[in-house]
Amino acid sequence: MHSPFTDMLNTVARVRGVTAALVVSEQDGIIVDANVQIGQPGDRVAALAASLYRKARLAARAASLGDVTFMQLEAPGGRLCAVGGGGLVLVVVAAALVNVGLVRVELLRASADLASLAEGRR
Amino acid sequence: MSDDVHRMSEELANDPGSRVFVPLGEALRLQGQRDLALKITLRGLERHPHLADAHDLLARVYADGGDLERAFDEWDMVLRLSAGHLGALKGMGFICFHRERFGDAERYLSAAAASDPDDAQVASALGHVRTAHHEVARAHEASAPNAERHDSRYLFVDVLPDEGQTALLLDREGLVLAGAYVGADGDDLAQEVGAELSGVTDEARRTTRHLSLGDWTSLVFETEVAVVAMAPAAGDGLLVLATSRATPLGLVRRLLQRCAERARGWLEGTR
Repeated sequence: MHSPFTDMLNTVARVRGVTAALVVSEQDGIIVDANVQIGQPGDRVAALAASLYRKARLAARAASLGDVTFMQLEAPGGRLCAVGGGGLVLVVVAAALVNVGLVRVELLRASADLASLAEGRR
Repeated sequence: MSDDVHRMSEELANDPGSRVFVPLGEALRLQGQRDLALKITLRGLERHPHLADAHDLLARVYADGGDLERAFDEWDMVLRLSAGHLGALKGMGFICFHRERFGDAERYLSAAAASDPDDAQVASALGHVRTAHHEVARAHEASAPNAERHDSRYLFVDVLPDEGQTALLLDREGLVLAGAYVGADGDDLAQEVGAELSGVTDEARRTTRHLSLGDWTSLVFETEVAVVAMAPAAGDGLLVLATSRATPLGLVRRLLQRCAERARGWLEGTR
């Protein structure tokens, strides 16, 4: 099934090392659309990433740092990157050795469309 | 040597996927044919992007040419591919020493010495680094104003020399242990910023554990006005680094490492 987010997700998921790309509702962590490799726990990724992004966004705003434009969580077993817009979060799960610069560029590029696609969805 | 180069060149020509490009590049580098060594190494890495020894070779080629920034990045990559790689530890130790980052240099060379205790070159370099480190620390101690020497708010001042860079060390309750966060109006907002940001780390810990990624090592977020990087500190503490939006992310990561090292030393000294 082709959703308004399919092309965006496919583009991001094509980056080598990316194992999951999801558009998630920031408020409740529900998946809107996803491109997830077999074995990836999509629902759990969505819920945790949305919650983390939301917390980071609220903390940054409370600390007078403005809106979060890009977030990256790093651990020995991999990375989780996210951008947000229009109440949605575009989340990427990637291997530790992924070219994070490339992931960041793709996510920032996609984030511009995310808000407008979210508007169209309402 | 040239016979070897000839033989390896033929082997590579017959099998472009061969890993012989590594010893071939090294032989060319030692012969002073840096450009050719660089070309062969880069071409080999296209086929073997995760070969640690190839990145190590590339780092040495860059270092020979004086491009220490790229050499450092390549050795950084080597350590990601092969933790404890002796060549990379020595190389990064050398570059840190060259940049007078004696703490980092000591850390890398100590790891190299632990990996190969018989390497006299490493032992000697480590001795030089430790001497230099002590001298610089003594000079800094002597020249620092009295208030700075005893006020933990100044802990990161010499690690973060550029305007717009600031760091905080928080305890497990989110209370400030060291560092400062000065707002646009000149007020120290460390306690407020620390309290807000420390809550995020529980979420980070939960996320990486649930996804079986291991314990989180850093959390970075870019905002409209700043780049904020966080890393866990000793005793369930938290290190927070904030830099201007213009700071490249690679540099932010390096600064975070330097601050972590400073915080580690300070926490050990205050125990």
